[in-house]
Amino acid sequence: MQGQAIQADFKQDSLHDAQMDYYGTRLATCSSDRSVKIFDVRNGGQILIADLRGHEGPVWQVAWAHPMYGNILASCSYDRKVIIWKEENGTWEKTHEHTGHDSSVNSVCWAPHDYGLILACGSSDGAISLLTYTGEGQWEVKKINNAHTIGCNAVSWAPAVVPGSLIDQPSGQKPNYIKKFASGGCDNLIKLWKEEEDGQWKEEQKLEAHSDWVRDVAWAPSIGLPTSTIASCSQDGRVFIWTCDDTSGNTWSPKLLHKFNDVVWHVSWSITANILAVSGGDNKVTLWKESVDGQWVCISDVNKGQGSVSASVTEGQQNEQ
Amino acid sequence: MKLKEVDRTAMQAWSPAQNHPIYLATGTSAQQLDATFSTSASLEIFELDLSDPSLDMKSCATFSSSHRYHKLIWGPHKMDSKGNASGVLIAGGENGNIILYDPSKIIAGDKEVVIAQNDKHTGPVRALDVNIFQTNLVASGANESEIYIWDLNNFATPMTPGAKTQPPEDISCVAWNRQVQHILASASPSGRATVWDLRKNEPIIKVSDHSNRMHCSGLAWHPDVATQMVLASEDDRLPVVQMWDLRFASSPLRVLENHARGILAIAWSMADPELLLSCGKDAKILCSNPNTGEVLYELPTNTQWCFDIQWCPRNPAVLSAASFDGRISVYSIMGGSADGLRQKQVDKLSSSFGNLDPFGTGQPLPPLQIPQQTAQHNIVLPLKKPPKWTRRPVGASFSFGGKLVTFENGRAQAQQGAEPPHHVFVSQVVTEEEFLQRSDQLQQVLRSQGFVSFCQKKIEASQTEFEKNVWSFLKVNFEDDSRGKYLELLGYRKEDLGKKIAVALSKVDGPNAALKDSDQVAQSDGEESPAAGEQLLGECIKEGKQESEFLPSAGGTFNISISGDIDGLITQALLTGNFESAVDLCLHDNRMADAIILAIAGGQELLAQTQKKYFAKSRSKITRLITAVVMKNWKEIVESCDLKNWREALAAVLTYAKPDEFSTLCDLLGTRLESEGDSLLQTQACLCYICAGNVEKLVACWTKAQDGSSPLSLQDLIEKVVILRKAVQLTQAMDTNTVGVLLAEKMSQYANLLAAQGSIAAALAFLPENTNQPNIAQLRDRLCKAQGQPIPGQESSKTPYDRQQLPKGRPGPVAGHTQMPRVPAQQCYPHGENPPPPGFIMHGNVNPNAATAQLPTSPGHMHTQVPPYPQPQRPQNGWNDPPALNRVSKKKKMPENFMPPVPITSPIMNPLGDPQSQMLPQQPSVPAPLSSQASFPQPHLAGGQTFHGIQQPLGQPGMPPSFSKPNIEGAPGAPIGNTIQHVQSLPTEKITKKPIPDEHLILKTTFEDLIQRCLSSATDPQTKRKLDDASKRLEFLYDKLREQTLSPAIISGLHNIARSIESRNYPEGLTIHTHIVSTSNFSETSAFMPVLKVVLTQANKLGV
Repeated sequence: MQGQAIQADFKQDSLHDAQMDYYGTRLATCSSDRSVKIFDVRNGGQILIADLRGHEGPVWQVAWAHPMYGNILASCSYDRKVIIWKEENGTWEKTHEHTGHDSSVNSVCWAPHDYGLILACGSSDGAISLLTYTGEGQWEVKKINNAHTIGCNAVSWAPAVVPGSLIDQPSGQKPNYIKKFASGGCDNLIKLWKEEEDGQWKEEQKLEAHSDWVRDVAWAPSIGLPTSTIASCSQDGRVFIWTCDDTSGNTWSPKLLHKFNDVVWHVSWSITANILAVSGGDNKVTLWKESVDGQWVCISDVNKGQGSVSASVTEGQQNEQ
Repeated sequence: MKLKEVDRTAMQAWSPAQNHPIYLATGTSAQQLDATFSTSASLEIFELDLSDPSLDMKSCATFSSSHRYHKLIWGPHKMDSKGNASGVLIAGGENGNIILYDPSKIIAGDKEVVIAQNDKHTGPVRALDVNIFQTNLVASGANESEIYIWDLNNFATPMTPGAKTQPPEDISCVAWNRQVQHILASASPSGRATVWDLRKNEPIIKVSDHSNRMHCSGLAWHPDVATQMVLASEDDRLPVVQMWDLRFASSPLRVLENHARGILAIAWSMADPELLLSCGKDAKILCSNPNTGEVLYELPTNTQWCFDIQWCPRNPAVLSAASFDGRISVYSIMGGSADGLRQKQVDKLSSSFGNLDPFGTGQPLPPLQIPQQTAQHNIVLPLKKPPKWTRRPVGASFSFGGKLVTFENGRAQAQQGAEPPHHVFVSQVVTEEEFLQRSDQLQQVLRSQGFVSFCQKKIEASQTEFEKNVWSFLKVNFEDDSRGKYLELLGYRKEDLGKKIAVALSKVDGPNAALKDSDQVAQSDGEESPAAGEQLLGECIKEGKQESEFLPSAGGTFNISISGDIDGLITQALLTGNFESAVDLCLHDNRMADAIILAIAGGQELLAQTQKKYFAKSRSKITRLITAVVMKNWKEIVESCDLKNWREALAAVLTYAKPDEFSTLCDLLGTRLESEGDSLLQTQACLCYICAGNVEKLVACWTKAQDGSSPLSLQDLIEKVVILRKAVQLTQAMDTNTVGVLLAEKMSQYANLLAAQGSIAAALAFLPENTNQPNIAQLRDRLCKAQGQPIPGQESSKTPYDRQQLPKGRPGPVAGHTQMPRVPAQQCYPHGENPPPPGFIMHGNVNPNAATAQLPTSPGHMHTQVPPYPQPQRPQNGWNDPPALNRVSKKKKMPENFMPPVPITSPIMNPLGDPQSQMLPQQPSVPAPLSSQASFPQPHLAGGQTFHGIQQPLGQPGMPPSFSKPNIEGAPGAPIGNTIQHVQSLPTEKITKKPIPDEHLILKTTFEDLIQRCLSSATDPQTKRKLDDASKRLEFLYDKLREQTLSPAIISGLHNIARSIESRNYPEGLTIHTHIVSTSNFSETSAFMPVLKVVLTQANKLGV
């Protein structure tokens, strides 16, 4: 397998996020230069499709919506805005701008497509807003104020699967989707939010283990098992794996994956939820896998700059330049 | 925005960065008197609890002190690694004293909290700083140019950094360099700063602008650049912050003139060197970038001056400021709403004044017109530039296909402009080498059809007996005389048995030996159990009780007859032709052989009765088995045998069961085993399912017994499943494309795993085709797109998701909108709570016109409530549950008559509870009259990127129920699931189908004609349904004919079948059929050959 390096002109401004679309054929990046860029990376190529301008500050994150809604990308920025971009007839345009936050918007995450187009946004103003597309260009906004004091750093939706669906789902019973997401913030907490029957969002659970800002949370994709899993990482260098086995979803137990020496910025689950990629402040990316005995082991160091190649990761080779 | 406040006039110190939770210590200020002019003093510790939204800070401890303080710092000295509250609180007092407190003891409420105290200084100690490299070193400054360096480990005698500067002056600040541990700076109100080198023990440089107006109130080193520092001046005539670089010490590098009056304190953020706080007598708190001079942020403050300001070391967005109005406020520089603050003030007011009638005048106060300005300024903007700590420098995210997208920003992002461009790397992550290798092998086997040798290899490589058994059983499927071989596997080898019986009989005396030959066959089965050294149904004998009832009645007959010996009576009875009585008499006299012989003469009925009575009477251990053999009642054996004897039961079934009941019986036995608590027996159930060819149950059972979560154990399962499906397809001519829920789940899991390892092509190859299982259809679409290819293996290479531009896709109301969310505006997913499975496309022929007809229905609807797109819950709804156990009832529910498809005009109207939709619990997606075009009206499809997942509501009311019914259950032993799913994979472009080439048209007419003939002579509805379904599924064949994708061998074979149909020689047709199936590529023929066989078999049966 050939790795691939995409080199983009970012004018010395930092990149802050890079996300592939649903199919893994398009790459969206965002940067301190206020731009959002989209590349076609099929077959090892790297064609710049769009350079989206609209933010007035560094852009922190991008998120692709499920393709069933078209080609839609959300971006959030220090400029307090969330912009939703859409490809229409081959060109990308801004389709909606959400200005409901008073401070930097740090994280955006689309809900499972089963719920419709719903975007969760976490901001440094401590609030989390939920944008729901209601048709005809309208977005309904719900806001959770004071979700995390001094700021929410990350939001991540729970997969749209009722726990235990495979194991003990009485047939004929009305399936009950419960919309949930996790958020992490500067109050060192991870909070789990649940939509009540009246449509209001309520804090369901506080997960406490980190001793510093929670930088990222990632709810693992469902692989049909009854266990729910969340990974969290923090300024304190720790990465925790939280699991919940009971059907009520109330008992979460943390397991320390590792304590790093530096901030851990980002955690990302593989699609099959068996590998966790951890990105640390020392610019190192490590891959972790749960062993048979339930311990998390580092299976690889991905160290781009030095081109180290581990047994299991095929390193991207820098192209011509 | 303001986070917290405490009403204290005090100096403040944050707990060190290591400390968690965050504490703020306050010590009564010596310089400022609070409003009460109280001279008492205290040291307090507050906890910063950000999860509490109120403005109050929780006081953890108060220590009444005899000192008031000029300076308070909190050092991490001797702090344990866990960062428990500890360290040292160092206070500068009024009278030359430095006091060390133990904060953990203060928090614990101890009386003895002072670690040490020293009064060596002269005058108030205004300056203190802890060396960040050696936290036991503390510098202090006081009057008379006194600077001491204290070692906290040896507090008694301080050192000096060098000779005192002259003239003597007060030291207002000391600061350790942030990069070089032996460099210290001090400053005095006179405006001079001195830099000391402790190694040389002397001042190395003096910094002054010689303006005489520089009255240093603050001094701070650059967090990153060793040679830079800032000085703040409290002189109103020169209210500046000067940035100095010691390499150019003649004049300030930069002067920040942002304050209107003198600056009282500064603080440089350790987390971001571009953030310098300053507060001044202009009552402002500013955050500036000292490297550019730009003001980034002005804190919203009251009009009071602040005399002390501190960054929180642990939480870089938090700072505290102490003001002369007797308050310490904690702020965030990240902006946000200030509503909390206002609320507190309002609360205070109302608590002071009481409600509405504060003065007891009897008249409530008029409502206050709150000036609008306060309301509109609630929002506090954040810093103009994002602080360093919010800028994510690195990230790695997984994407589909096991790709990892990583980026990083140059680690040395420092100054040099020659920074390389940033890269985003896409790497392939492969973690399951063995899994991939095995998967690859399996694929090769499928390609080469080398099943037997594959099984053999597996048998040889098996680690466990069970594994070996499973593979042996699987292997047998591909061999001749599979039942016999199964028996052998169960330990019943015919030859061996014959020998054993010979031995047993030879022990009997001579005359009997003559019977040996004739008895052998009859007995062999009966003696299997003993031969195997086991008892069959030993426990069941107790049922014998019931039979005793026969005896009295038999005796009754006997009693009526006249006395005499039994022989005489029998004779009489026989003479009168009364066989029944004669037999009874014989039985009564225990003359079994006589009784049976007489019964044979007395006819079938009597024989059966007699057999019954015999069995009732006989109590041998093997009676039940013999009973079953004679009565052919295998169901009972299977249902009631001791499960320890499952092996024998299975053997019996293998030997005796008729083909049509064989699978059912195996299933039944498997189900019993599976439901048993014994895990060993549970696993054995797998063997039964293999015999039965029941893939779905095998999956279920296997999954239950094995840990299926790891890739390799999934591989274990998939290998078996794939082989078994292959076998079933070969031997039973079932439609193996039917995929049950569980199997679909496993297969998609498997494909997902392959995809996650980057083997997208392999994943596609293993993904079952022609299924309407939503997860599979979705995955297929995703895999194809990921590969950048159209979906292979489908006629005309169309994907199940329509990619065309759909002019009609935009219902009027939406068409005008240029705003994006046009998507949902189309009624693509308005399926109410019965959303369809994705990737489902209806049969193009069903009702091509319906599509357009429907389009305008429910235009412009997007439902927030209605989850569009594949609803995972569908399966839970039972629509596709394995029907195995409640077949009958489901059948009954099926409407018998075909109803034409009813357009789904407004699916939203159909709540989940719709009775009709529930009546069709297993209905898979059924062709519905919405063309996929209609349902996916993305206007901009040029790029073909849009996802056209789901069009079909399934189980929708109004669907033609008869479509869905056929074969839902399949034959016993066949994988259970929907057979209709083929329908949906027909490309929508069917509307413009090519004609079938003339030379092959005969095939279509022949087959259709045959089905018609069968239909007209078939009587039972089930057969009709089967035929109906067959007719539909033969469309696959016709499509292939249209596409001309069939190999010549198959074509000619089909023509041969057609010819034999013409001549009504169906057995010959079936033979040809078998030949085609066994010689052709499975995937090529799997869509229609099984159904063709069904038709031929039916035709043969019906004799049409």
